Amino acid sequence: MTLDIDTWIQVAAFVGGGLAMGFGAIGAAIGEGFTASEANLAISRTPKISGDIFKNMLVGQAIAESAAIFALVVAMILLFTDFSGQSILMVSVLLAAGLSMGFGAIGSGIGSGFPAGEACVGMSRQPAMSGQLTTNMLIGSAVCQTPSIFALVISFILLFSDFSGLPIAPTWAAILGTGFAVGLAAIGSGLGGGLVAQTSCEGMARQPTSASTVTNIMLLAQAVTQTPAIYGILIAFILLFKGFTPTASLPAAMALLAAGLCMGFGAIGPGIGIGNTGRSAVRWIARNKESTADLTRIMLVGQAVCESTAIYSLVVALVLIFVI
Amino acid sequence: MEDLGEIHQLIVPLFGHEMTFNLEPIIMTWIVIIILLIFGLLASRHKNIVPGPVQVIGELFINQFYDLSEDALDKDLGRKYAPLITALFMFLLFANWIGMLPHMHEPTKDLNTPLSLGIMGFVIAHYTGIREKGFKEYTKSYFEPIFFMMPLNLIGELAKVVSISFRLFGNIMGGSIIILVVSYLTLSLVLPPFLITFFVIFIGAIQAFVFTMLTLVYIAVQVN
Repeated sequence: MTLDIDTWIQVAAFVGGGLAMGFGAIGAAIGEGFTASEANLAISRTPKISGDIFKNMLVGQAIAESAAIFALVVAMILLFTDFSGQSILMVSVLLAAGLSMGFGAIGSGIGSGFPAGEACVGMSRQPAMSGQLTTNMLIGSAVCQTPSIFALVISFILLFSDFSGLPIAPTWAAILGTGFAVGLAAIGSGLGGGLVAQTSCEGMARQPTSASTVTNIMLLAQAVTQTPAIYGILIAFILLFKGFTPTASLPAAMALLAAGLCMGFGAIGPGIGIGNTGRSAVRWIARNKESTADLTRIMLVGQAVCESTAIYSLVVALVLIFVI
Repeated sequence: MEDLGEIHQLIVPLFGHEMTFNLEPIIMTWIVIIILLIFGLLASRHKNIVPGPVQVIGELFINQFYDLSEDALDKDLGRKYAPLITALFMFLLFANWIGMLPHMHEPTKDLNTPLSLGIMGFVIAHYTGIREKGFKEYTKSYFEPIFFMMPLNLIGELAKVVSISFRLFGNIMGGSIIILVVSYLTLSLVLPPFLITFFVIFIGAIQAFVFTMLTLVYIAVQVN
């Protein structure tokens, strides 16, 4: 058996494809299962509109599945494209593309199952609001997909850009770091965004008069929830496009990989935490519309404090890239 | 596929330095501005109690965003900032939607546009904060809860600009890259229009609204 560069690239493509689809399958399945279980609850409560609830469940599950479909697309590209004849750097590029999309699909998949399930329950509680609940669910789930879209974009940039002119020594680590940074950072934000959208559907069903306020605050809270994922994509862009000087030393390369890992893991907790803050704020705004301004302010301050740990990771990652 | 990441640039030498202009976003921004000007003219030319179709759309925008800014800020300040907020939303909406026309590119796809709008919002928010609270109160807010939190508060404020602009940029660029790659892979007539409906029309409108709301909230946080 000969182990030339082409063999290694082929191995990396297969492993990357496996990682992308393997990890990518986790989230969507959990989210869809949650939706279906809530739909059962809803139908048992109000069997009269079981047709509407069933339709809503299918639409919600289709959106929750999109993260897994992104992973499938990346896995298929990795499996069926011919990457032979390129430099050894391609090994880390293909692995990073798989890792980024695989991890990136987890959070959004789980997250967008929550609003879909809660919309089904809401329809059983308040059948007159069905149309608005479906719209709100669609908006909420679509915004939940943003972190996985970031991961997909980084995967596509990795797969379709030309890295041949770059020095191999530190760049391989930077590219692997890119995959970890954007993929792991997407987990928390995707999950958190789902939590926010879930209570917005609940609140809308309980208090139909505050529907438009709830949708607005939901979008705001989800936008703040995505901030950790945005730090992840920022570090990923810096690692991809900075252009590092060639070096043979291993610590210098490992610092770049560590920057990606630091930003990726550091963003998981803040994403979920910010989502939790937003979830509670949206829930109480629906019940107490008069205090919207106060509740929004408390929510934003609380979210800013949650976010500070993501900012610590961002600072350490930037120090690892630029100082060390 | 080669046009992924390709940028048309005009490089002008100036006193030994080089000024770089990204031509595409500049031209597209001007097209958006011209569309908005025509829209404004049509909406306000024949003002009537019984509004025409264009006037109705204009009034929809204005009512919605005057209400939102008066809710977020107080009544007086809200009315003062509402034109800015409305204009920001309409610009971003048309800028994100222009990508659905063939050979047109969203100016927001270039990081320079969202970043400059983000910096504009940042400057306006802090200027308003200083004017409403006074310089002393404004500075004190950085030393809360304890004085040594100052550097982190400062980084937190700067991170807001990064997050608001990268959110818009990432979503719009992401959508256009996905549409480009899928059209290249499948050559189908069905899939790209479906993707354009989702990524350009739906996500474009949501992101324009989110950017506007965040700018408004950043101002509101500085005032209160």
